[in-house]
Amino acid sequence: MGVILREFSFKLNGQPVSVKAPPAYTLLETLRYVIRLTGTKDGCSSGDCGACTVLLDGRAVHSCLTLISHVQGREVVTVEGVDPKIVKAYASEGAVQCGYCIPGLVVATAALLREHPKPSTEEVREMLKGNLCRCTGYVKIVKAVEAAAGV
Amino acid sequence: MRSLADVDVLSPASVDEALEILHQKAGGIKIVAGGTDLIVQMKHRIIGKTDLLNIYMLDELRYIRLENGSVRVGGLTDFATIHKSPVVRTAAPVLAEAASTIGSVQILNKASIAGNIVNASPAADSLPALYVLEADLHLRSKASSRTVPIRDFYKGYKKLDMRPDELLVEVSFKQVGDGYLGKFFKHGLRQGDAIAVVNGAVLLKWDASSKAVSEARIALGAVAPTVVRAEKAEAILVGSRLEETAIVNASRAVQESISPIDDVRGSAAYRREMSTNYVYMTLRMLAEMVRK
Repeated sequence: MGVILREFSFKLNGQPVSVKAPPAYTLLETLRYVIRLTGTKDGCSSGDCGACTVLLDGRAVHSCLTLISHVQGREVVTVEGVDPKIVKAYASEGAVQCGYCIPGLVVATAALLREHPKPSTEEVREMLKGNLCRCTGYVKIVKAVEAAAGV
Repeated sequence: MRSLADVDVLSPASVDEALEILHQKAGGIKIVAGGTDLIVQMKHRIIGKTDLLNIYMLDELRYIRLENGSVRVGGLTDFATIHKSPVVRTAAPVLAEAASTIGSVQILNKASIAGNIVNASPAADSLPALYVLEADLHLRSKASSRTVPIRDFYKGYKKLDMRPDELLVEVSFKQVGDGYLGKFFKHGLRQGDAIAVVNGAVLLKWDASSKAVSEARIALGAVAPTVVRAEKAEAILVGSRLEETAIVNASRAVQESISPIDDVRGSAAYRREMSTNYVYMTLRMLAEMVRK
């Protein structure tokens, strides 16, 4: 079978976009290989590691388990579109080691702060349990979230 | 991992349109809702490539309603919504509890209750809760509409009483009334986002006047080709006062209802031991609750 292409329109980081992509491409594949917006990382491609986390209508989801067909008419925010204060907090707290998990964590942090603007440490740990850091730098990651929230 | 660039995805605008497509292509198309299992299965060659029927945008299948003592949950309702729903928390706390353990925030935001049921993993975390709630599954096709009790829906490992032209549109169950106590448990190999080695749910009716159990339902997952009810254990509990002997005997009796296998997450022997231990711990917790 040959490659199938269809047109999809959605809002990406606040801007309307139209893209031609295979309808069973994942949002992750579409972002990285079609749109060439490569901040979103491919860690495990199976929904275990959280590196590819994006916001879909404001909620954290795995872009590796989301089809571009799921996104038609909806709103997507990637790491490129989140509040820069979160990125700055990760940098100033020294929460970044190899860095591969960080785009997913930054987006998961944005989702967390939408729901809990002043989260407890417990809430931070609970909401970020789907984001794995193979450098195991979780202490400073939690500190970065707390810094971003001002708690 | 393989590319799905040659897979077509049909995205109907309504349930009726989806049922029409299923009617025409029955067997030749797979339904994708949240996609949290199906996309992995197809990309990692666990299932064959077929075209997909994308129902994710059918918001008419997203609702939680309490009507005449019954809770009705639309098939596409995601587990984050179920976990947070005041209706579910009041009318079926055991399901609210199970919903939160299904996966990470990212999974809960996308995975649907109908997807969890139809995917039919014996370790699916919503299933033991739905078994003790004795949920009914509502299936629609273009020409028919029928209701199947969840216990009769699974005919074996991943074998369902469901035709290729049918869509699971709703899950319903009776509101849990006064005097009922429920608890979900899950033993995974780590705290967050792990597949269950053993999971289960217990729902008891405590009769305050006779100070005894008047009804008992125990369901266990990941220890048989389908979720099972531990009927022998249930029979031991009915009429008991949840004293230590009854709890010990009932937790031992779950062994008669299970047939676990060895796999990457644990041996059959380990699952057997954990089944009894978790039912014991859960019953102890419920016993403490009734004595308060």
